[in-house]
Amino acid sequence: MEFIQDNLLAFIVFFPALAGLIILMLPNDATNTIRRLTFLLSLVPLIGTLLLWFNYNAEFRYGGGFAFEVQAEWFPALGSSFHMGLDGISLVMFLLTTMLTPLAILASFNIKEKVKMYMFLFLIMEMAMLGLFASLDLLIFFIFWEFGLVPMYFLIRLWGGADRNYASFKFMIYTMAGSLGLLLSIQVMGLATGTYDIIELMDVWVNLPADATLAGTGISVWAFKNIAFWAFVLAFAIKVPIWPFHTWLPDAHTQAPVAGSMMLAGVLLKLGAYGFLRLVIPLFPEHANWAAGTLATLGMLSIVMGGYAAFGQWNFKRLVAYSSINHMGFVVLGLAVTAYTYGRVDTFADPKIAGDAIMATNGAVMQMFNHGISAAAMFFLVGVLYERTHTLELKKYGGIWAIMPVFGAIFLFTSMSSLGLPGLNGFVGEYMVAQGSWDIFTIQLALSMLGLLMTGAYILKALGTTLHGPVKKEWMGLKDMTLREHMVIWPLMVLMLTLGIWPQWVLVFINDTVTKSIFGLG
Amino acid sequence: MIPMSWYLLFAAALFSIGLYGVMARRNTVAILMSVELLLNAVNINLVTFWRYLTPDRSVGMAWAVFVLAVAAAEAAVGLALIISVYRNRDSVVAEELDVLRN
Amino acid sequence: MSEELLTTLTWLIPVGPLLAFFVITLFTNRSRTLSWMLAWAGVFSSLILGWTVALNVFAEDVHHLEEHPTVIADSIAWLPFGSNADNWLRMGVAVDPLTAVMLIMVTFAITMIFIYSVGYHNWGQPLGKVLGVPNHMQEEPLLSRFFAFMSLFAGAMLLLVVADNLLMLFVGWEIMGFCSYSLIGFWYARDYDIGEDDIPHISPRKAGIKAFMTTRVADVIMLLGIVFFYRVFGTFNFAEALSAHSLEHAVAGVGATALGIMSLLLFTGTVGKSAQWPLHVWLPDAMEGPTPVSATIHAAAMVSAGVYMSIRIFPLLAVGAGPESGVPVGWIIAGIGAFTALMAATIAVAQNDVKGVLAYSTISQLGFMIAAIGTGAYVAAVFHLITHGFFKALLFLASGSVIHGMEHGAHHVHDHHTDPQDMRYMGGLRKKMPITFWTFLIGGMALSGLPFITAGFWSKDEIFASAWYAYNHEGNAIGLMVLVALALAAFLTAFYTMRQISMTFFGKARTPLAEHAQESSNFMTFPLIGLAFFAVIAGWAGIPEDFPILGPLLDNNYAHHIIGATVHSTLHHLSEMGLVGHSYAIAAFDFVWLPLIASLTVALGGLFFGWLMYGRKPLVQGQADPLIKALGPLHTFLNRKWYWDELYDTVLIQPTIFVSETVVYEWIDKGFIDGIIHLVARAFYGFGRYVRAFEMAVFGDGVDWVKDQFLAMAASMRQLQTGRMQEYVLVSTLIASALAFVVLAINYGWFDQIFQ
Repeated sequence: MEFIQDNLLAFIVFFPALAGLIILMLPNDATNTIRRLTFLLSLVPLIGTLLLWFNYNAEFRYGGGFAFEVQAEWFPALGSSFHMGLDGISLVMFLLTTMLTPLAILASFNIKEKVKMYMFLFLIMEMAMLGLFASLDLLIFFIFWEFGLVPMYFLIRLWGGADRNYASFKFMIYTMAGSLGLLLSIQVMGLATGTYDIIELMDVWVNLPADATLAGTGISVWAFKNIAFWAFVLAFAIKVPIWPFHTWLPDAHTQAPVAGSMMLAGVLLKLGAYGFLRLVIPLFPEHANWAAGTLATLGMLSIVMGGYAAFGQWNFKRLVAYSSINHMGFVVLGLAVTAYTYGRVDTFADPKIAGDAIMATNGAVMQMFNHGISAAAMFFLVGVLYERTHTLELKKYGGIWAIMPVFGAIFLFTSMSSLGLPGLNGFVGEYMVAQGSWDIFTIQLALSMLGLLMTGAYILKALGTTLHGPVKKEWMGLKDMTLREHMVIWPLMVLMLTLGIWPQWVLVFINDTVTKSIFGLG
Repeated sequence: MIPMSWYLLFAAALFSIGLYGVMARRNTVAILMSVELLLNAVNINLVTFWRYLTPDRSVGMAWAVFVLAVAAAEAAVGLALIISVYRNRDSVVAEELDVLRN
Repeated sequence: MSEELLTTLTWLIPVGPLLAFFVITLFTNRSRTLSWMLAWAGVFSSLILGWTVALNVFAEDVHHLEEHPTVIADSIAWLPFGSNADNWLRMGVAVDPLTAVMLIMVTFAITMIFIYSVGYHNWGQPLGKVLGVPNHMQEEPLLSRFFAFMSLFAGAMLLLVVADNLLMLFVGWEIMGFCSYSLIGFWYARDYDIGEDDIPHISPRKAGIKAFMTTRVADVIMLLGIVFFYRVFGTFNFAEALSAHSLEHAVAGVGATALGIMSLLLFTGTVGKSAQWPLHVWLPDAMEGPTPVSATIHAAAMVSAGVYMSIRIFPLLAVGAGPESGVPVGWIIAGIGAFTALMAATIAVAQNDVKGVLAYSTISQLGFMIAAIGTGAYVAAVFHLITHGFFKALLFLASGSVIHGMEHGAHHVHDHHTDPQDMRYMGGLRKKMPITFWTFLIGGMALSGLPFITAGFWSKDEIFASAWYAYNHEGNAIGLMVLVALALAAFLTAFYTMRQISMTFFGKARTPLAEHAQESSNFMTFPLIGLAFFAVIAGWAGIPEDFPILGPLLDNNYAHHIIGATVHSTLHHLSEMGLVGHSYAIAAFDFVWLPLIASLTVALGGLFFGWLMYGRKPLVQGQADPLIKALGPLHTFLNRKWYWDELYDTVLIQPTIFVSETVVYEWIDKGFIDGIIHLVARAFYGFGRYVRAFEMAVFGDGVDWVKDQFLAMAASMRQLQTGRMQEYVLVSTLIASALAFVVLAINYGWFDQIFQ
């Protein structure tokens, strides 16, 4: 028990790198071994996470704070240590990551070239994502943040579609440009307060008097905080992505290989939202309070514009890519409520606002988890079809349900989860966000309904153009789903159903952390 | 005794003649001969100063002997070089030996 | 029966069909027979359980029910929220008299439809080969899928009916929407080849999308109402949130006007789901689905759910329409209902598709119910909902039987182009399909409101009576508007029903299809008889006590009392607080002649005129519909459904496509946003080129210039190297002399003398 508490977290985070090294040592042409070994090795962090899950004991569930904390000396001269820990939110994200990675690897079994490099990049990426979710030190956070970009860049560049050069470049540079401000702000923050530790900063940094000057520089605290806040926001807004900083996503998703899209939509986007929740809002509470309305409006625009754009697509993958923007908009709307209420949740005249804040934040995190699952599933199914038809043009599909009935049923089910049909997981998060934001951001929520309407439109468009209609001659001989493909999609479908009917098993963790740690209630 | 300056003047005159010879003679062998003149003028200078200023010490005398020896050696080597040059270039006229030009 | 047992049974009511859905989808989908048997098992279990629970409710004392309407209630904590587990959102079941009557109607109708479906899809006949299109006269190859979706649909409807809270109701609501989409588009590969004079059909898949999207417009607005509901009341539970005490508290908190807005937001859901104007356009096209689907969705279940939801939140609507509210909720609801009822009735008069008439008839009848709600006539609305469920399901199934008969005839004469659904090609089917005829007649008479015998009469009469009461006693002008509009609509209803019956069944067959039609299988006729039974007797439970002759005979307006018991005490308290109009406080009112005369006149009048035009001398082959000449261009307007579809397409659909494909994607995303990014990228490239140019100039060319200077200097210095030793000697001598002179000069102080 002690051992788990002390070491398992670091082990889980770095095991993928170790696994990657093992993979690198295999001979290049042993592709089957490489694939299978990678898959097996990727199950180890999942098992580890499940261990963490069941050992996330009562002390943290009911007391708030971080479990499994690891703190090691790293850079004492700067005030940065290797500090990691999990709370309810990061634990849930851990589960998402360690669950999607084996499935994505399983989905990658049809990659034929440079398999070893591919698998290695995947494992490195997993390490970066896990490290980011667990990190409690700003420098470590940033390192993992940037680290995650590189494997993705190469994945798109080397195994992507026709336009991959443009897409990978845009993705990498755009995200990096946003991170510039983040890095500068982090550096100044660390210099001024003498520490990079997030937990300490939440105290020290927030309480710096506004009229003082930053130690080590000549800038006033107030002026710098303004700049730093927007620098932070920009970096994470690009990643989420929030409209209008979203245009890298359709290209990146469309050109990425299937499993790359699964991870990109499934986990990488959540890094941005997580950054808001973990860093932006706690470190700049007053600014967050003030900017919440803007955030809500941008979230609404993401929902609406993402929905309309998705409906206007005739490329299957790009339609699903825009659907990600549409769904993440709800996360942003929920986080806007969090931003609005953080730090002052018991000062409002209306006592129900505390309930709204908890509901919306729960909803935002739940939507992160749910969208990860449904987006990964959707991209996978797009890949299944692409592998057989070698085209992504919706106009060329038609009548596939008659030829691939099992695929049709599975696609129908997954689409309904993406659409937010009550009874499946997509609805839970969206409902909670709507519930929490009704009173605080009524207009934005009302306008978001337009986006929700378009969600139905584009999902039905995807279903109608692929499955329905008269059968086209060229698709007559297509094979239905193989065993391997079933193995990828069924865990996701089971999750979609169970989370829709009984979301408690994940929500209790999120709810505890949100109520106690974030809002300090209860 | 005769004043020292007579000897020095004599040496200077010899030196000038030698210097003129080095700079103006066409034939390399003649230049060599002028070089001998130079050296000998220096020798006279040395001996004069020795005889008139520090006759009891043998420094100047030794030095003059040194110079004589070096002059002899240098004349030998120089003539050997001139013969070698003559064999290669077919000329002993200094003006025409400008391979190291630019 | 013990309360615990009843509670468990209530939880189990939706389970049968839902379980059937999963088992059919996952395991038995290859065996069509096993699938339908499983589906039957599912709905039969619901039927038995539902009726058991409902009859137990009816067994309670009415006065007891008035005080405590919720007989069964149970819930579990579902959504974690906050630190106190008691505050978590709960999901559960509850049964009150309203639930009970719904259970009676819904379970029975759905079971009949499931029985019917087996025959409709020709089970037992040779297997059809083509997937996704109707295989006429052959067994439906996708039968398992059909029953899977139907079971899911039934489960969702039952979930909605027994739900004790608005959120769970919404879950069932949306799942039904999904099933509706899937079932309307069941023949997803079907395309039509429409000739000029043919009835226009859109493809089933487009119809499914239309249904889903139209109701989704309503649903997203309803979602706003739902979150508003929770925010104000702090709970989704109907009994808790809509008690008099809770509503009073809410009015004190947010004001009655806010509750009025909430009512309208939630009512929008009903407008969509129950196909009221302006969101009515999906229902007629939903006829593209197989007929059992039409019967379920458009009679027994989905559209009923819309009205049911409004009835469930009736206390809220009452407060929203009440004197303290600034929003004219009553006018809006009643206005929409009355307008829709009249509009749809006029359209139905000019339709030629046998199912099309019924579709518009459904829209119209739903308008009746909603108008009743708008007037505050709770019992009337419920009553009509129940009776309508029975006779409309009956009519749809009977029309399906007619179509089957026509298809049989088509198969017989090998004519696959004539539309078997077009009434102009029918005629004389009375002799060929007697059971279908008689059951259709019963259903049609119920729809028209044939006095005394049929259920439809009693429920329609109740609506008229309530409207008149509201106007007469309370001075509520809504009542008058509703009465006049609905009376006209009822007249048209009877008229078009008679038209439909005459064109279909009377006279001689107008085409070979009708000539060779034959009665349908027992699978199909048995449910017709079952439903016909209820179409007649269901109304008798609602005969007012002081109705002449019959009233005192039965002496107990049972339906009124028991259904009214659901909200009786709540509305009574609210009325005392002045929050709702008096017409809303339900007490059985005294019998008045005027509404009765009105309903008798319109029903009999409509039937008479219909018979006059179509029944006395039935149309013969080639004869045009006399209405066309009578109405002229108005007929085209009605036949083309008031051109709503065309309007929506021009004003809503095409602009949305334009906005999506062009404005948002091309102009904003690729043009503007990416334009800015590309501009930034080009600026950086330009900056980089500038820096490179700068570097090339300075560090490239500059350094080169310096080098050149050195080389020039060296070149000039090179002149010294003549290779001539004597010149070197000369130069060095000169320099040495100069240096010596300088040194000596300095040494001997000559410079000092010069530069004094």
